[in-house]
Amino acid sequence: MGQSSPPALAAGIEEFVFSGEQEPVLAGLDVAFAAGSLTAVLGGSGSGKSTLGRLLAGWLLPGDGGTLTGFLELAGTCLRFIGTAADPRIDPGSWGRQVGFVPQDPAAALSTIRATVAEELAFGLENAGIDRATMAGAVRHTAALTGLTMLLDRDPPTLSGGQLRRLAIGCAVISRPEVLIMDEPFASLDTDGAEDLAALVRNLVQDGTAVVVLSQRADAFLHNADTWLVLAGGTVAAAGSPAEIVAAGALELAGVVCPRPQAGPLPLAEPGFPAVVDGPPALELRDVSFTYRGTQRRGWFRAQPGPPADPVLHGLSLAVSAGEILAVAGPNGAGKSTLLRHLNGLLQPTAGSVLVRGRNIGGQPAGRVAADVGLLFQQPRDQLFERTVEREVRFGLEPGQPAADQAVQQALAAVGLEHLAGRHPAELPASQQRLLALATVLARRPSVLALDEPTVSLDGHGLAALDRVVRSTTAEGTAVVLVTHDLDYARSIAHRLVRIEAGRLLPAD
Amino acid sequence: MRLHPLTSLAAAGSTAVITTAAASWPLSLTVIAAAAGLSVAGGVARRMLPVVAVILAPLVLSLLAMHGLFFPEGTTVLAQWGPARVTVEGLHFALQRAAQLSAAVLVLLLCSFTISVPDLVAALSARGVHARFAFVLASTLTLLPAISSRLGRIRQAQEARGLVIMPGIVGRAGAFRWQAVPLVLSLVEDAGTRSAALQARGFGSTGHRTSYRAVQDSPVQRWVRLVLVLAAVAAIAARLWQPTAGAS
Repeated sequence: MGQSSPPALAAGIEEFVFSGEQEPVLAGLDVAFAAGSLTAVLGGSGSGKSTLGRLLAGWLLPGDGGTLTGFLELAGTCLRFIGTAADPRIDPGSWGRQVGFVPQDPAAALSTIRATVAEELAFGLENAGIDRATMAGAVRHTAALTGLTMLLDRDPPTLSGGQLRRLAIGCAVISRPEVLIMDEPFASLDTDGAEDLAALVRNLVQDGTAVVVLSQRADAFLHNADTWLVLAGGTVAAAGSPAEIVAAGALELAGVVCPRPQAGPLPLAEPGFPAVVDGPPALELRDVSFTYRGTQRRGWFRAQPGPPADPVLHGLSLAVSAGEILAVAGPNGAGKSTLLRHLNGLLQPTAGSVLVRGRNIGGQPAGRVAADVGLLFQQPRDQLFERTVEREVRFGLEPGQPAADQAVQQALAAVGLEHLAGRHPAELPASQQRLLALATVLARRPSVLALDEPTVSLDGHGLAALDRVVRSTTAEGTAVVLVTHDLDYARSIAHRLVRIEAGRLLPAD
Repeated sequence: MRLHPLTSLAAAGSTAVITTAAASWPLSLTVIAAAAGLSVAGGVARRMLPVVAVILAPLVLSLLAMHGLFFPEGTTVLAQWGPARVTVEGLHFALQRAAQLSAAVLVLLLCSFTISVPDLVAALSARGVHARFAFVLASTLTLLPAISSRLGRIRQAQEARGLVIMPGIVGRAGAFRWQAVPLVLSLVEDAGTRSAALQARGFGSTGHRTSYRAVQDSPVQRWVRLVLVLAAVAAIAARLWQPTAGAS
């Protein structure tokens, strides 16, 4: 970054402390982002990445959200903060027009009150009083840039995860901000989705936008970044070109996940379970098909005719033995999560049957099946609902039993969260939320463990904990079914790998 | 041509006012028949019917009980239990009031079921209505689906951890006590994040706003709205001037 022009955005953060807390979450941190550059801010969970991103983007305001000492510099204007009431106030609206932000959960960026994708894109422009003809042009241009042209008339809540992320990016870039900050944009995108996003980022950088990607994975695309900043403990632990950082070995220490270089398919893990098992398999699917019955169930509410529902699963059959790890790989929308929801009875097959330890679970409430089958949801925020970490793990266990206390302790210790028992789950960084969700499943000691994209949002330390848990539970005889779009991970841990595409099971290549 | 949302609103409002002010049997019944016909034609009858039943059944029953049984001016007694007398005059009065009320409720419900809320929000914003009010109005459309999907997610998370919920609406209602607190807390937490997103997208700005959604309007519709409002005002004035007009 040796340009003579001032950076599009710069910050010198001596200290940032959240309201009501003592310890600074960011300290001694200097960053600058030049126009037309790509910067990756890498760090493990809890390193302060998201806080830094929200602070730079005006989503977390000094004064309201916490106390900042230092400065923020946007487009040549420098604001100095000393942590007093006399500090300058940031107008989030005008700041947001110059710094776009895409949060980790893309749905959180949407207004929720606009009826179509086009109107959602235009929301920021409406608030700025832009005339309709200009808005229409901007919506068309942004839709073309983000691949939303065919979706402009759709209702935002009906979009898939990948489409939602593109919409959130569209909302952030439609006012042509000089800076775009994205928090974990590649998480849970399959290969195609990640390539589309990479192309979009390249376009933006070429057009002169300073793009900042916050990530806990040093994904292949990020190796094209001009600069890597490695964050640890709220401060910059290392900065430089990707090659320099890799050479210095700064990533692993900070808990950043480094995907293995593509050196051909890895061999599958050796089965650690006896080849011949007495009795029925831990889990068996017999010819399972499933179709969402949305349009039939509505009855009185048939006023909105939907397209005829396509089957999501087509005649799936498979068996998993005790102690076996089966990985199901496939692209976004292939039916992976739908498959997992059949294993614990949250969804009932339209045809076929699911057997757990030889017993058909058809017609049983999911709450009963839960004693045998533990499901880790893809989104931790869909799984966590309690007020403290400890209550979260305890939910559903026999109250007041010493066995329950022990199960809670052991589950928290297995994922390394025992020191956080009193914290609110929503306060934890994403990786720890995921581990907590895993602990809630482990506490029930299920005989079948179903994991939905378990690696998503885990940092390096989290991945290590997941690995330990999966290996130790299978050693005790638990059958594990995990679905993932990450083939490398699947091969590194599974005894057997199958692919699912458009709802059909195929042998892995 | 599609009706402008304010035209629908003016039509429903003035019909309700005029029917109430006129208090005329034939008018009330005509309006009821027209509203029923339009709801069938508009394809909203099935959705409207349960709501109509929930609102009107208790109102009509209480009118019948009040006026049908205790109508002091009633002379033609059909039946008598102690102080309660069913009189022809009482029943007539109760049915007339019920028809009047049903007509007003039906046209207003028909309007709320057929009006496009996004169009209404856009039309109001274009007329300088405060953005926060427009947000609240638009939220009426999105809030309920959002709450029910969040509730569904919490319920599934709890079922996956051993909460046994019997199938059917009774089972779900019984299990709601487990979901109430997490639901409220998660909605509050959501509101915090949402507010940061809205502020960053300029929602808090006080300057001039525009609307992307174009709502079709025409000079004819503007005139129609004016006439409808004037007609409603005239009906009220006539009623005040001649309090017994239309009453039979």
